[in-house]
Amino acid sequence: MDPLIVTQALNVVYGVTTLALLVLGLAVIFGLLGVLNIAHGEFIMTGAYCAYVTQANGWPFLAALPLALIICGALGFVVERGLIRPLYARPFDTLVATWGLSLLLRKLTEAIFGMGFYNVDVPLPGTVALLGTDYPAYRLVLIAISGAVLIGLFVWFRISRTGTRIKAMVGNRELAEAVGLPVRRLATYTFVIGTCLAGLAGVLIAPLVPVQPFMGLDYVLKTFFVLVVGGLGTVMGVLSGAAVIGGLDSVVSAAIDATYGYLTVLVVAILFLWLKPRGLFARS
Amino acid sequence: MSPPRLTFAGVVGGYGTAAVVREVSGQVAPGEVLCVLGRNGTGKTTLMKLLMGYLPCWQGSVQLDGTAIEALATPARHALGISYCPQERPVFDDLSVRDNLTLMRPDRDLAPFADYFARFPILARRLEQHAGTLSGGEKKLLSLTRGLAEGQPVILLDEPSEGVQWENILHMAALIEERKAAGTALIVVEQNLAFAERIADHYLVMDQGRTVLVGPRGEIDRARLLVHLQV
Amino acid sequence: MRVVSAALVALILLLPLGLSDYRAYQLALYFLYAAAATGIGLCWGRAGFLPLGQAMFFGLAAYLAGLTLIWLGDSIWVFVLLPLAAATAGLLAYGIGLLVFRRQGESGPYFSMITLALSLLAFQLATSWNDVTGGFNGLKGIPGLPGLDDFSAAYYVSATALLIVLSLGAWLYAAPVGVLWRALAQNERRVALFGFNTNALKAVAFGVSGLFAGIGGAIYAPQQGLVTPQVAGFGLSADLVIWAAVGGRFGLLGPTLGVLLVGALTTELRDRIGFWEVLMAGFFILVVLAFPRGLIGVIAPLVRWLEGWQRTRPAVPAPPRRGATEPAQLTLSDVSAEIGEVKILDHLSLRIAGPGIFCIIGPNGAGKTSTFNLLTGELAPRGGCVLLDDAEITGLPPHRIIARGVGRKFQIPTIFTDLTVAENLCIALWSCRAAGIELLMPRLKRWTSPMLDELVRRYPFLAAGRRRAAELSHGQRQVLELAMALLTEPRLLLLDEPCAGLSPEETASVIDLIRWAGRKLQIAIVVIEHDMTLVKELAETIYVLQNGALLAQGDIDTIRANADVRAVYVGGEK
Repeated sequence: MDPLIVTQALNVVYGVTTLALLVLGLAVIFGLLGVLNIAHGEFIMTGAYCAYVTQANGWPFLAALPLALIICGALGFVVERGLIRPLYARPFDTLVATWGLSLLLRKLTEAIFGMGFYNVDVPLPGTVALLGTDYPAYRLVLIAISGAVLIGLFVWFRISRTGTRIKAMVGNRELAEAVGLPVRRLATYTFVIGTCLAGLAGVLIAPLVPVQPFMGLDYVLKTFFVLVVGGLGTVMGVLSGAAVIGGLDSVVSAAIDATYGYLTVLVVAILFLWLKPRGLFARS
Repeated sequence: MSPPRLTFAGVVGGYGTAAVVREVSGQVAPGEVLCVLGRNGTGKTTLMKLLMGYLPCWQGSVQLDGTAIEALATPARHALGISYCPQERPVFDDLSVRDNLTLMRPDRDLAPFADYFARFPILARRLEQHAGTLSGGEKKLLSLTRGLAEGQPVILLDEPSEGVQWENILHMAALIEERKAAGTALIVVEQNLAFAERIADHYLVMDQGRTVLVGPRGEIDRARLLVHLQV
Repeated sequence: MRVVSAALVALILLLPLGLSDYRAYQLALYFLYAAAATGIGLCWGRAGFLPLGQAMFFGLAAYLAGLTLIWLGDSIWVFVLLPLAAATAGLLAYGIGLLVFRRQGESGPYFSMITLALSLLAFQLATSWNDVTGGFNGLKGIPGLPGLDDFSAAYYVSATALLIVLSLGAWLYAAPVGVLWRALAQNERRVALFGFNTNALKAVAFGVSGLFAGIGGAIYAPQQGLVTPQVAGFGLSADLVIWAAVGGRFGLLGPTLGVLLVGALTTELRDRIGFWEVLMAGFFILVVLAFPRGLIGVIAPLVRWLEGWQRTRPAVPAPPRRGATEPAQLTLSDVSAEIGEVKILDHLSLRIAGPGIFCIIGPNGAGKTSTFNLLTGELAPRGGCVLLDDAEITGLPPHRIIARGVGRKFQIPTIFTDLTVAENLCIALWSCRAAGIELLMPRLKRWTSPMLDELVRRYPFLAAGRRRAAELSHGQRQVLELAMALLTEPRLLLLDEPCAGLSPEETASVIDLIRWAGRKLQIAIVVIEHDMTLVKELAETIYVLQNGALLAQGDIDTIRANADVRAVYVGGEK
């Protein structure tokens, strides 16, 4: 097979799976709790800065993962308790509040780290020979991790007790309260899972992108678009949305250039928001 | 006679600015059933929501074994010993029948439900199916099973027989009798008079949000009830 | 209001006397941002939806103005074309609003996200379309306005632009359309059920906000001499929202106050206090959650006090309602409807021939309220058809059905609690009597009608115009809602439990009012009621619904004798 085609195909796979990884946190928070967390991108950014701080201190790359989980988890906990909890079932107010939160996190990052961007070294710098082409090893690892996290989360949600309880809370909150489910705690827990996933994605993506205060903006829109295109509350939704948005971006970027990829994604997302806001695979 | 388990006095509440329940009082003792009757729109379900804490009591008190609970949230009332089977959306549609029953049981054991499955074999046959695929009446069976099997000292049932076949209504009555014998206090909102007559120890009849008739079953005959139930 | 306006104009005109050229120049820039922020206040504080990409319109007008000026130089034509640049931004916003709202009807988060995505698209176009926009470096060397390019002239041009925007805003806020915007922010469905096309109203609001941003942008180009993609970018969009929120989005002057105060402070303090912008972001969250009225909320009581000096002006009789006036003939044939998988209406057929009072009764879930939803176009049937007189109304949107003479009162009062009693009554009077350009005339607020006179005679509290409807008791709310339904003088009036939650005395007076209205207007009144004593008092014909179908119909004795009805109400043993 033509090595160029293999590389491009792998790029598409890479684009789609990493996008799915970036979406997961928002899929949990928006898809399950119904909270349109505009600050999702800033949680990803926080994760990415954790990777930078780890490197700046000379710690091993993997140390960034627990750091991001702790920081994003604690942040998520505080935000859910202080900001989100009074606003459940008021989607518009949540939008404004999390929009303010995104500003706050961005400005805070600017104040601490400055406006400039940082590079995080790729932890696995080499390439791997695959189907007649050399492909960056870290990208392959990222594809594998993304797939594993996606499947792991899906399975956990299907079979674990907590997953079932979250499903119960989401499906019928009144009844959940009546059977004694600690609904408020469970909601906090779910929110924290979402922010942790965002932080995790941020760490993993950090070596491949410039780490800068405005990076969250792109991610929140892209991930929101994925959910709008795919539909809320289903794994199929996340996958199909990531396939459409990530696939379009990769293919158009490869065929023409990155600007056109970005434009195509914006146009497609606006069309979906406008014409089919419930997406391809919405939960009934 | 044993002291009342659940008492409510002068309860007022409703939606927005509209008072739907106005100064309703009642009580139920261990091993007894209080049947709340009345035409639809008279505030029966609202009374249940006030007792369970979904709506705030604007006035009045609710006491469980002498402790004031009217200020507690719903989960806290459940934790103190009140089970509730709502009239609408009585089960978790997205969960399997099995998960509906075992959601709050640490061991996920189905053994406690053997009696219920014997009476409602449909539930045993559909264990792995989503509860959302059950018919309205079947959901009521599942809800009742879940509520009674929680084994709590107080149970509130809101129209358990709605959409249920008569044969199964009889099973429901029998299961309720078993709980009564075990000392449970039940408040049951009902539309079906024949069912109410089988299980009730006391009646509380509501109209326009107020109590219009209250007393033990033996002292209130069918004709007096029908005045308030028929059009 | 006059005193405030006069003081404001004087302040703005005299201000440059005490300022350095540099400060005046800066202030001029903030005036332009204030024009755009005022538009955000209009959308967010009045009409209840939040545009997140407002810089797109500011930037569009700035680019258009810049290109025009480069092209024409100091020709006098720029004074014609610059307003056109602003108008183009307004038209684009109106067009986007019309398309999006018509399709979605909602003004929640999705609309905000669409505006955000569109503004990013605009930013990307401005950056990549090198030939026209100059790409990343922007349009350079834009000449100033001919004859107006010194600092103080620039100041007065900006100040005039802002004053024009504020005057337009003041007029719109005072006009019926302003009242309707506030009403639909609170309960859009209800506004539609008074016969107004809410999607068009929102699109107009968005269009005006685009125009305001465009006015700012069109003057920005000649004053700054440079237009870069940042002018259309996310940063400015975000700042505009913050300024509007902090200043106070509900008042007309709030956004301006926010821009001048926050903007000016930011310029001063950004470099001196490292965490200044973090503080601002935190302050924004605090304001939005805890002090939604913003800074202007602090001085609002003063403004209200000044308003108290307004003269009352004579009332004007409202024109008659548009369209037919004879009592409605309603036919439902074989109508079925579902919500999700639940069957709500099951081959329902019934005929109601006005005039007269008709009651619908039935157990919970029988489909009573759903039948009303069907009649007002909010529930789409899967099969069957609904005829009003001889015309089919199935599938029409609510506001069109209302226009044919249907009025409705909800079970739980849905009056607009944020509005005054007088404004609530006005909305009902405007329903089916005013449309289009008329909604811009403040005079309509003085409308009255014989029906209103009679209602005020019966319920004097309705005359306390300035009182906010939120202060009314439950009984008064029920009466106000019923009064609003009657003021529209419909041919078919749907009343859902008009006496719910009322005391016996209040119930008696409401029943009396309904019967009076039935006699006076000679219309068809359909009442959903549970209380059988009321049914007996009101109804000539009773319809009993069960499981979404008609079980029985007739007078009270027929219904009472019906064995099926008895079984429904007492339950069976089968």
